[in-house]
Amino acid sequence: MLFLQQLRGELQKLFARPRTWIGYGAFLIMEALILFVYKLERSQQHMRGIIERNGLEFGSYYSSLTITFTIMLLSMFLLGSIYFALVAGDIVAKENEDGNLRMVFSRPISRLRLLLVKYTAVSLYTFSFVFFVGITGYLMAIAAVGWQGGLFVMEPKMKVFAAYPEWWEGAWRLALSAAGIGLSMITLSSIAFMFSCLKIKPAAATIITLTILFVDMILQNFPFFKPYESFFITWRMGNWIFLMEQNIPWPKLIESYALLGGLNITLFVIGWTSFQLRDFKT
Amino acid sequence: MLEINALRKSFGGKPALRGLSFSVGKGEIHGLLGHNGAGKSTTLGIILGMVMADSGEVTIDGIPVSTQRSQALRKVGAIFEAPAFYDYLSGWENLRILMGYSGGFDADAAQKTVDEVGLTQRIHSKVRTYSHGMRQRLALAQALLPEPELLLLDEPTDGLDPEGIKWFRDFILNLRDSRGMTVLFNSHLLAEVELMCDRVTILRQGELVFEGAIDGLREETDRFAADLDCWEKAMPVILSNGGKITAPGIIQIPQGSDPSILLAALVQAGIKLRSFSPVRRSLEDVYMELLEGKKM
Repeated sequence: MLFLQQLRGELQKLFARPRTWIGYGAFLIMEALILFVYKLERSQQHMRGIIERNGLEFGSYYSSLTITFTIMLLSMFLLGSIYFALVAGDIVAKENEDGNLRMVFSRPISRLRLLLVKYTAVSLYTFSFVFFVGITGYLMAIAAVGWQGGLFVMEPKMKVFAAYPEWWEGAWRLALSAAGIGLSMITLSSIAFMFSCLKIKPAAATIITLTILFVDMILQNFPFFKPYESFFITWRMGNWIFLMEQNIPWPKLIESYALLGGLNITLFVIGWTSFQLRDFKT
Repeated sequence: MLEINALRKSFGGKPALRGLSFSVGKGEIHGLLGHNGAGKSTTLGIILGMVMADSGEVTIDGIPVSTQRSQALRKVGAIFEAPAFYDYLSGWENLRILMGYSGGFDADAAQKTVDEVGLTQRIHSKVRTYSHGMRQRLALAQALLPEPELLLLDEPTDGLDPEGIKWFRDFILNLRDSRGMTVLFNSHLLAEVELMCDRVTILRQGELVFEGAIDGLREETDRFAADLDCWEKAMPVILSNGGKITAPGIIQIPQGSDPSILLAALVQAGIKLRSFSPVRRSLEDVYMELLEGKKM
């Protein structure tokens, strides 16, 4: 019960900061831009080509579900990662920089519990943000093309192709994939959180996290590393796309999420160890 | 209430505390004095478990901070110089969040404390709109809310105007008198320490140079203020008893000698004495002497 009260306080702080809302604003603008592009004739022709080349009817699959999927596929890793790293990189380091931690440390709360509260808040923010993008993207897409139609999925790099003609089936897969993305992105937030626990500036925690993410992503795309792609964090994070396959490869997914979960715990323990052993001057 | 026992702490090989020991009794207002870098803040940090001591122990009401920090701090409130609140939240929201770390928020108790510190009108305003004095009042409210038995004050009156300083002083003295609260007061304002504290601990380069009652510290035994009818007549008597006149009306006798001998000699010489009393130095005089390594 007390943990929930502390978590509520942490979320209150998180959502009272203007910078937390920058991500929401940026995604709304980006979604509006993508929808604008989808309304252009040339863009629609391009989509028609892709869908019809795969033997499907354009009218059934040029839908709000397909557009929402495209928004999430294109934006979450590149744009979303910036905001997740920003918020998680700030959560401890910024409070230390601003001197708020002094006030907290005069309280009988252990450092481990304090970090658990903050980590839970960051994870909830990350997970819910993905759903925010999915839901707002879908609502905007409904306004643009209506709610009906199936879901068309094509991701050449991971070799995932699927089509769900029924609306409910497409919507269910989209919700499932949002959960998958949310879980994947918690690893990114965990990296930033770990750095935030170290004795560094909040901006440094954010920048180092993004650097790690982008270097991992770039190297993963090198042909040389193709046989070793499963060793890359971003490849594991991208495994959510398999939730879109007709027959979901659960063993592969469980393996990836177990690895990411283990990595999250390791990152938390490293951050906590550093935080626990540090001196905080009054 | 608070026991500091043989604390040692170094930062990067440079000693900040060298075996510091002192104690603060229940219901006592205890001043912690020393120049910048003397180890005052490090001591407070160790008491709160923010800084880990290399060796030594701090106990609060018999509970060791190093091994049972949460239990030890349950009855502790602290105020820091320039308290850093969450500026983007209201004072009330800050109290709610901070009390969440202390075992839960009680709205009635919070309202009572807010009224007590005189912040009722502005408690729901954003902290960023607060003046320094209002921030200190909020700091006081957050420190008092866990109903502490020990209050740690780190330069709490820095930056306050004279009216604010007086209010703060009276408030703390009232807390001691009405609730029997123990206070450890770290300040550069010696006049404040003098007015508030029963006892003081003075640190120099991480070492204790004095611990004791303020009255005992200030009282000097070899200088006396005298009011007598004829100084010319008194001079040879004073000199023959080993004394000297160091300032108008001030007689210094040899250290350790009995002033009553000089008094008797003056009376015997027919000198009329209207008053003869030990010189009481200000805390500042004593503090400066101690820090410069002069006599105790």
